[in-house]
Amino acid sequence: MKTTLTGIAPSRRAVLTGMGAGLIAGSAGLVRPVWAQAAPLKLGFQLHATGIGASYGRWYQRTADAALKKINEAGGIGGRPVEIVYEDDGTDPARGAEVVDKLNSQHGCDLIFGTLFSHVVMGSAPRAGELKVPYLVCSEGYHVASGALNRWTLQPGITDVRSQISSMAPWVAGNLGKKVTMFFPDYAFGYDHRDFFTKAIEAQGGQVVAQIAIPPTETSYTRYFAQIPAETEVLYHVMVGPGVLTFVKELGEFYGSGAKPQLFGFIDSLEAVDTATPGLEFLEGSHFWEAHPRVKPADAGAAEGDYRAAVGVDDNGASVADAKDVATYSHMFSAWETLHFIKQTVEASGYAGVADRQKLVEAMEAVTDLPYGIERPQGAKVFNGKTHQAFGSQNISKVEGGKLVKVHTTTIDEGKYDDGVDYTTMSF
Amino acid sequence: MKRLAAALTLTPGAALACALPPSVILTLPTGHYILAAALTVALTALLGVLTDRLPPLQGHLLHEGADLWPRMVGWTAGFIAMAVLLAIGFQGADDPLHNLLTLVFWTGVWIALPFASMVFGDLWRPFNPWVAPVRALRIALGWRGSVGLSGLGHWPAVVGMAGFSWFQIVSLAPDDPAGLAGLMLGYWLVILLLAVAEGEGWLEQGEFLTVFFALIGRVAPVWRVREAGRVQWMVGWPGAQVVRMAPLSLSQMAFIIVTLGSLSFEGLSETFWWMGLIGENPLEFTGRSAVIGVNTLGLLASWGLTGAAIWAGLRLSRALAGGGFAAGPVMLSFLAIAAGYHVAHFFVTLITTGQYTLWALNDPLFRGDSLLGLPPFYISFGFLSDPVFMQAVYAVQFAAILGAHLLAVILTLKLAGRGLRNMGHLPMTALMVLYTIFGLWLMSTARGA
Repeated sequence: MKTTLTGIAPSRRAVLTGMGAGLIAGSAGLVRPVWAQAAPLKLGFQLHATGIGASYGRWYQRTADAALKKINEAGGIGGRPVEIVYEDDGTDPARGAEVVDKLNSQHGCDLIFGTLFSHVVMGSAPRAGELKVPYLVCSEGYHVASGALNRWTLQPGITDVRSQISSMAPWVAGNLGKKVTMFFPDYAFGYDHRDFFTKAIEAQGGQVVAQIAIPPTETSYTRYFAQIPAETEVLYHVMVGPGVLTFVKELGEFYGSGAKPQLFGFIDSLEAVDTATPGLEFLEGSHFWEAHPRVKPADAGAAEGDYRAAVGVDDNGASVADAKDVATYSHMFSAWETLHFIKQTVEASGYAGVADRQKLVEAMEAVTDLPYGIERPQGAKVFNGKTHQAFGSQNISKVEGGKLVKVHTTTIDEGKYDDGVDYTTMSF
Repeated sequence: MKRLAAALTLTPGAALACALPPSVILTLPTGHYILAAALTVALTALLGVLTDRLPPLQGHLLHEGADLWPRMVGWTAGFIAMAVLLAIGFQGADDPLHNLLTLVFWTGVWIALPFASMVFGDLWRPFNPWVAPVRALRIALGWRGSVGLSGLGHWPAVVGMAGFSWFQIVSLAPDDPAGLAGLMLGYWLVILLLAVAEGEGWLEQGEFLTVFFALIGRVAPVWRVREAGRVQWMVGWPGAQVVRMAPLSLSQMAFIIVTLGSLSFEGLSETFWWMGLIGENPLEFTGRSAVIGVNTLGLLASWGLTGAAIWAGLRLSRALAGGGFAAGPVMLSFLAIAAGYHVAHFFVTLITTGQYTLWALNDPLFRGDSLLGLPPFYISFGFLSDPVFMQAVYAVQFAAILGAHLLAVILTLKLAGRGLRNMGHLPMTALMVLYTIFGLWLMSTARGA
């Protein structure tokens, strides 16, 4: 009944076929490659169009649309045109599982990808496993590599948070200081930072001198600053949500113009926010983890400019149409890289239809090196077929003149850890 | 859901955070603004009571002429537009931000049209999608009678508004195009059936959107009066129409209470305060599926509390004033508050999601058309983290809430009756002040989801 291609209003997926509408309103492509008579490859995208993840969802869709356009213009995947079917999951795990069902059964998608929020991944992956549909997530959660999921769930397009956090410790210890006080929100996201970083900095001969957990509903922070030990050399902060501006403002008021520790944060706090926003002046000179530097680094590779142009992002990481509309730049490359991983493995496995899904997952598990190029603008990656997890290098940027300037890139090896699971030994 | 929650806590994997953009509003001295607004409302009431000098709130004739508007054209157009939108809802994209039905209904019918109606009077009425088919069917069936539905007063619309509010605020997926289309089609058919049986005039008391727009349009400073083939364009201060309305019936009062209570809860349910109360982490909101039960209770409680607060205010005022403060007329004041809340609550949705609607109207099939002649543009939310712009947005919300409450105070003074003891105004004024504080707090506090 739904989304037939001949309805009164062609569905978006029909429109996307062969032309990639992009997110430029009114500019949808006039380029229509002439396809052979091949049936399109249908990729389901579990999109956070509404709900708490909507600000990310908007950019993930824009990135996926751009990758789709590029791939279709270059001949599709295995000679077949590609469609993306977007289904909104409301950033809700219960709806997430329904969306997996719908994309698989109703739309007949070949596989599903794009999921960002971990709780939606946790709610959806079991259903994908039951339906035996490849489920490629972009959530950076450690849940894939930890072994909590299943043979059908993989994360090939972004490094997980355990690796991201651990790889920061050598540079922080060597350049900012070894006595660290951590501020983190008091729930799982913050606990990952607390646990992984504490362990990693100790391995560098450093020490976390205080762990200060902030209740998620807190909107005023000054009273917590009194708990910062005087010996603190580095203040590690991963506050997120509406209170971030207040946190920075009050931290600035607390230290005034006097001596202060070095600040190190995760860009999650300010993803999609201009670092030159009035009120963030106190962050000047501080450092941030970035997976993909939003301000184009001076030494950026050749693919960087092409990727930005395709997605419609300028050299500052903002929309080409609005310099204030900063992208979720540090994360959204995962939608692009995952789509290219799909292309690579569909072609390598000779995948022809849903009967080949197992063969496709086995081809994915066989991937090891994912070299740098337009397919992977964030950087080269190594894929671990046993843990279903990709590992890439991470970046550290310094706020200079309100801009994030990349100062360091880690090696891939700095983020590696012992395998927690071998999915290839599990049955399909 | 409990099993899922357990799974989440047992798994080492973390949720990706940073869903909610940092809020510029939280860094503003909003406490001072709220205090100033509360004092303004209180002082307005005080001055009004002591000086007994209130704006006359009269309508002035702007233009009078023959009523040439072919009404059936508008009604037929409304019916056709709805049919087309429903078809798009069923057949179009599943992504709500790329489906014209979802976009037009939630940002057009529910936000832009009420905003416009608050300025130009009821704009739903000329395009009511039921009138044309009801009239046609009644002629075809040769049925001119009624079945007694009118005896139910406005209660059917109260039920409609209550159900709609639950669907909007609590249900799992109000944005899902096919789900929305199915619900709209079902509702349209039920109302069609009832209106064919009872007559098209029943829509004005039985159909919630028709009732909502008729009421909300009464605060408009511009309106039309149609009589005997003539149309008069009138202009006057907001509220000039309200003071001339007949006292509200019990079911009309219930309608206003449900509308106001729903708007209050719509805002409240997103606050960190509410999330904390129900044990949800706003930075990692589980999603609507986890809070359907508790938010249903919250919505019911909001209706109950709204009704109880207004009832108590009226009773106390009447006792202290030695009479007056009849509910029927005084409840009309709350129309202004409902209108102001609607603007304040949905303004940001209008300027964010409204961009998608504009895009979809310009290019309904997403194939590169430009029906509105708009140049290509990217959807852009950059202003949400721009302090200057967000302060302007807050100013709009502030003005809507404060303006609505000042109007409500003036209306209450006018409608309470004559020759009352001044003390009688204290409870209702206190209620207005509390509503001002609550409304502005909703706009100022940390919100998620």
